[in-house]
Amino acid sequence: MTVDVADGVREHLEETGYVVVEDAIVGEELARLQEAFNRFSDEARPGWLEQVAQGRGSSAFFDVGGSLEKDDVFLGLVDHPSFFPILMDATGGELLFLFPQVRTVPVSPVSYVGWHSDMPHTNPLHLKVQIYVNDVPADRGPFAYIPQSHKPGAGPYPSVKKLDHMPGHRPLPGKAGTAIVFNGYGWHTSMVNRTPVPRKSIILIYEKWNEARWDPEQWQGIEEKLTTPERRKLFGIER
Amino acid sequence: MRSERQRKAWLTVAEVLVKIDAHVHVFSKVTAEFPREANDQLPAEDEAPVERLLKTMDDTGVDRSLLIQIGGTSIEHHAYLLHCLSTYPERFLGIGRIPDDVDDPVDHMDRLAETSGVIGFRLFGLGGPEPLQPVDIREFRTYPIWKRAAEMDYVIWLYPRSIDVHLVPFLLEAFPQVRVGYNHLMVSPGTENFQMENGRPRIETRMPPAHRQFVRGMSRFENVRALISGQYAFSNEAWPYADLRDWQHYLARLFGADRLMWGSDFPFVTEEYGDEAGYGGQVRLVEEVYDEWTGEERGMISGGNAEGFLRFK
Repeated sequence: MTVDVADGVREHLEETGYVVVEDAIVGEELARLQEAFNRFSDEARPGWLEQVAQGRGSSAFFDVGGSLEKDDVFLGLVDHPSFFPILMDATGGELLFLFPQVRTVPVSPVSYVGWHSDMPHTNPLHLKVQIYVNDVPADRGPFAYIPQSHKPGAGPYPSVKKLDHMPGHRPLPGKAGTAIVFNGYGWHTSMVNRTPVPRKSIILIYEKWNEARWDPEQWQGIEEKLTTPERRKLFGIER
Repeated sequence: MRSERQRKAWLTVAEVLVKIDAHVHVFSKVTAEFPREANDQLPAEDEAPVERLLKTMDDTGVDRSLLIQIGGTSIEHHAYLLHCLSTYPERFLGIGRIPDDVDDPVDHMDRLAETSGVIGFRLFGLGGPEPLQPVDIREFRTYPIWKRAAEMDYVIWLYPRSIDVHLVPFLLEAFPQVRVGYNHLMVSPGTENFQMENGRPRIETRMPPAHRQFVRGMSRFENVRALISGQYAFSNEAWPYADLRDWQHYLARLFGADRLMWGSDFPFVTEEYGDEAGYGGQVRLVEEVYDEWTGEERGMISGGNAEGFLRFK
């Protein structure tokens, strides 16, 4: 399948392992996304704190569950035209959506995650989109990636005490509405947030369509919203 | 018969290094001389006298121990701990407690430490905001305690509850000079998974613990040591607690052999509390868990690190 993407985008993703899409979400849509994010986060926070106090949840980050069922503004991100063609192009149109993470990362001198790769190359192509919901300057825990670390044979990468000691890494700050498409084979992390403001972002997780990940039951709860053949395939309702 | 020199040549490095139990409790029955709190864990008639600990240590080749205050937080409640420290100064150092509501924690700390072998203080709650709230460590209830620890070189013996774990990195960053021993495999129990079983703590928690991201992050602070202790409370298996092996090795990868310290949690690991492996099992645990490491590395965990970090003379 051929998908139109801007000049150089495919090459950048293939060469570095990531593409930054500035102003992916803007204007009214961004405002609505931020409002929904904040509203559902506020609703879910007491339950999260209870889980933390009980020792059953981590205070390192906080996710809103069931976001796609809660508001169509989240659903609309999954195949958002600002970055969806990049994902389709990278997978030859054989894309399967796995799940979202509507995530708040509290301020902390330590990151909630170290340098890591999501999947080995034996796994089907694993793609993610990180969408900043609030402004994420360089000191607010931006997503960071090691360019070219997604390539077979890349590395090994050293175990570093401080995230910014990783050789060759690139922090990717951005304003609210920025989307970062990246290859999950590559090494990435969330840098330390030195500001007083938590980082808010949405992480969308995809793979090249594969039988092992296909679960036609997973999105039955929102099936009535998945009306086009493209969406039904993307969400695994139909093959 | 071998000469002493020949005998020493046969010893492994681990056997030559000092063996220090970095987490034990002793307590007397409640008496006028040694008042303490009595509760389900420590009934008034129960006792774990220091003489029993000394015999146990001698029987198992443990040279020294760090006595952790149990049975109350007031100065008076420390009477038995202070007695043990003054009676056997060559065998023990001590960790005291601080009442949450004490008016002057600094005075309390100094009074306990000035004439005894009390080298630091155990903290559970940190008295800071809940997650996602603005953080100013100067407003933490325990900020004066950390500040005093930095000024006086006191050790902080840390066993925070899960709701407070997010506060720890802020304090570690602010006080890099404070020596911190993070108790019991760096597992921080929650409110609903802590209970008593056979008179000792039983903590139903998933492993790795929910706050593992913080454990990884905190490993970058060089002033932190992780305690290889308390396995009986978290494990669903008998000694050597095979279900904890992955976590014990994860800690080892994060901290390295020179930043782990072994502790037994005596007397709760003795046969008296239904522990079949007993104290001897705890003494052998480092060798069992880190069997791929060198004798020198195991020796560091079993005592060499504690000797330097806690400054046993």
